[in-house]
Amino acid sequence: MTGDAAGLHRFDWRLFGRRTLAVLAGAVFIYAGVLKVRDPLQFADDINNYQMIPWSVGVRLAFYLPWLEVLCGLALVFHRLLAGALAITIALMLVFIGATIWAKAHGIDVACGCFGTASSNLTLTWHLVLDGGILAALIFLWMTRER
Amino acid sequence: MLLGLAFLPAIGQAIYYRGAVSWQQPPADSAPVSLAQAKGWGGAVLWIDARPEEQFASGHVPKALLLNEDNWNSLLPLVLAAWSPERKLVVYCSRQSCDASHAVAERLRQEAGLKNVYVLQGGWEEWQKGGQ
Repeated sequence: MTGDAAGLHRFDWRLFGRRTLAVLAGAVFIYAGVLKVRDPLQFADDINNYQMIPWSVGVRLAFYLPWLEVLCGLALVFHRLLAGALAITIALMLVFIGATIWAKAHGIDVACGCFGTASSNLTLTWHLVLDGGILAALIFLWMTRER
Repeated sequence: MLLGLAFLPAIGQAIYYRGAVSWQQPPADSAPVSLAQAKGWGGAVLWIDARPEEQFASGHVPKALLLNEDNWNSLLPLVLAAWSPERKLVVYCSRQSCDASHAVAERLRQEAGLKNVYVLQGGWEEWQKGGQ
């Protein structure tokens, strides 16, 4: 076997790491999306609690955003439409984090609704740690994506 | 493409939920009553469950009567039989954002001519949180 041939069979740990991270991030979005798809009225309440947008807009977002999360999650898991999925999920995370900080700054006690009722007992700090970790992973995937 | 694709299931789900959601404004809080306040009324309360029959069957406030718009004509006589002028009617549906309790409360006022009709804030979800 030549050196070149050996190189072809060398395991690419960096690629494996990126793919694994993408699958994990995708799974998180699928999980979060499915929880909210199952109960859009609760999510509408959660959005309304932030007092940032009118109810008529929030209730429509409550039907749209969970499906967007699920589709982006699937795209990350199956490595399809990756750039678009990463751009959307990064934007979503920035909005979620920004809204959480905004609500806290205005003294609004909100359940973020990020993971449906499963996240209702998380403290603000843990919300930010969790969201920040996901955002960091997504940004890493964006910076290192194959072009 | 993902942004567009997400519209398809979202629209389908919105159509499925169209009758259960208040689209233009949060469910009205006309004559709202908190769980603590309603419980404080004790035996004077006549609980009215405005959810579909299958949800009522899976769990409801003790002694609550079922009254929803689907079976209005057949269920209303049971409510009227249990009603008396000194009683307070507290109507609830699944949660804060559902509309059924408001619709039933309005019909009880307008069509049945009943007074002292209230809507439970937070609905059945709030009752369950209350540990009852």
